[in-house]
Amino acid sequence: MTDEQTNETLLEVDAISLSFGGVHALVDVSFDIRKGEVRSIIGPNGAGKSSMLNVINGFYHPQEGTITYQGQARKQMRPHDAAAGGIARTFQNIALFKGMSTLDNIMTGRNTHMSKSLFWQALRIGPAQREEIENREFVEHVIDFLEIQSIRKTPVGRLPYGLQKRVELGRALAAEPTLLLLDEPMAGMNLEEKEDMSRFILETNDEFGTTIALIEHDMGVVMDISDRVVVLDYGRKIAEGTPEEVRANQDVIDAYLGVSHD
Amino acid sequence: MFYRESGQLKSSYIADQAMFPIAQDRWFVIGVLAVAFLVAPFFINEYWANAILLPFLVYALAALGLNILTGYCGQVSLGTGAFMAVGAYASFKLVGFFPELNFLIVLALSGVVTAAVGMIFGLPSLRIKGFYLAVATLAAQFFLVWMFNKVGWFYDYNLTGMITVRPIDFFGIRITGPEATPAAKYLFTLTVVAVLALSAKNIVRGRIGREWMAIRDMDIAAELIGIRPLQAKLSAFAVSSFYVGVAGALYFAVYLGSVEPVEAFDINQSFYVLFIIIIGGLGSVLGAFLGAAFIVLVPILLKNIMVGGMGFDSGMAGHVEILLMGLLIIFFLIVEPHGLARLWQIAKEKLRLWPFPH
Repeated sequence: MTDEQTNETLLEVDAISLSFGGVHALVDVSFDIRKGEVRSIIGPNGAGKSSMLNVINGFYHPQEGTITYQGQARKQMRPHDAAAGGIARTFQNIALFKGMSTLDNIMTGRNTHMSKSLFWQALRIGPAQREEIENREFVEHVIDFLEIQSIRKTPVGRLPYGLQKRVELGRALAAEPTLLLLDEPMAGMNLEEKEDMSRFILETNDEFGTTIALIEHDMGVVMDISDRVVVLDYGRKIAEGTPEEVRANQDVIDAYLGVSHD
Repeated sequence: MFYRESGQLKSSYIADQAMFPIAQDRWFVIGVLAVAFLVAPFFINEYWANAILLPFLVYALAALGLNILTGYCGQVSLGTGAFMAVGAYASFKLVGFFPELNFLIVLALSGVVTAAVGMIFGLPSLRIKGFYLAVATLAAQFFLVWMFNKVGWFYDYNLTGMITVRPIDFFGIRITGPEATPAAKYLFTLTVVAVLALSAKNIVRGRIGREWMAIRDMDIAAELIGIRPLQAKLSAFAVSSFYVGVAGALYFAVYLGSVEPVEAFDINQSFYVLFIIIIGGLGSVLGAFLGAAFIVLVPILLKNIMVGGMGFDSGMAGHVEILLMGLLIIFFLIVEPHGLARLWQIAKEKLRLWPFPH
């Protein structure tokens, strides 16, 4: 939790329903994300967590409900507008640009901050050169922050899994997001890598005041780093609150451990 | 040992982001350009210009254009021949309308016209990918060539259906038609190709180039980090078509002098350029040049060896040459599926250590 945290709402999800054909991925889900907090979304497999993130950054368009981001209510938005509005994300399965170096991947994350025209870029003098240098400087801060200086020029396809996850976080951070959506940032990592990643997430939240929405299956991590948790099961919200409240909730325990429905 | 970057430390981002950050690469490129500009024009003759250097430069430029679209942005196109035709006919009509216009401006405008046409045929790329997009660009190939052949306005209603270039002077020096010297044609083409190649290198390592590669590597992720797919793909179609259009205009006006659309710009032309970038290396500016050199030069070399050295008659040599070319292409693709540009890169890596094993 950052010092800047207030009770101001950054994003409010109101009565969202999303279905694909007959499959109801999300049913009447409402919760809010406050400025500066680390908000976790948990739930068993297929609960609709990733769908929720996809709705927030405009990749899926819900049939019902509204999303209010920075005071602006909308039924749906395009991914480009979400990115331009300061929503960045990482993916459950690594979605890096494999043919490009670490540096280029992270630089691509800054594309919403760059605007110089094709003509100047072809000549690469004046404004385009300056823009490239300025953004490179910022990207180098991200690289320093994530401690990946040594792999700056390595094609990302050659990197081990843990580092690829870190580069992906870097690409999202390069956009200077207001709201950072992390989809299972620690999946498949060993303990040491998880600790590193947790540290980066908390420092991001702490130093840059970035609001974070996190999907994670490792309950230890979730309980340690979240300010508030929301629990989904079969597309419905079954609980929300602080980690302690959620841990004590009988519905949550039932959802995770299973309960006989008779 | 000879290709070492150790000790070449960069102390500014400008130096680190230079086009050729490694000194050896820089000197190599400067050396090649120096020979091409300062030495070659003195030794060039009709044969060298028309059989080797002009086709090499023109095809390298067309391949560079296609490589931007296919190699960098991942959109397959089989319409290169038709887009070259658009550039050729645009330059023909422009010179007809404005005979006094500087030929560089004519070339640029021909490129712009081709870019516009390319964007129209690039629109389906938003919805379809891969082989399906290739088929959509095939429509451009057949439709455009048919149009240039059928609509008389394009060839000024002359009886042969061919277009023939008017004599054009570039700052007082004749660069087209039979009266132009080989050196003048060569130097003009070389200048255009060199400038456009360096610009392409700049574009692909800047924001727009990164957006193209992002779309190529993972289009959904690219969209979610704020790249507009339509904009990125259409800009790739536009820039690619610009290059192909300029190549087509040079092909017609400077290299051949007169063309007939069905023959000069048919589907084989599209495949020819596609082979160049596959052999040269997708997603590499250097690859376009290496591929063009391979495709243009090796047949000539084979023919000379067979006719001159082994006494084949020229008809026989022509057939064997096609056979050998096919074999060589297969051989190179098996040895290095990523093309000659990757082979060159591997050679450089080896040279860093050579002759010491470690």
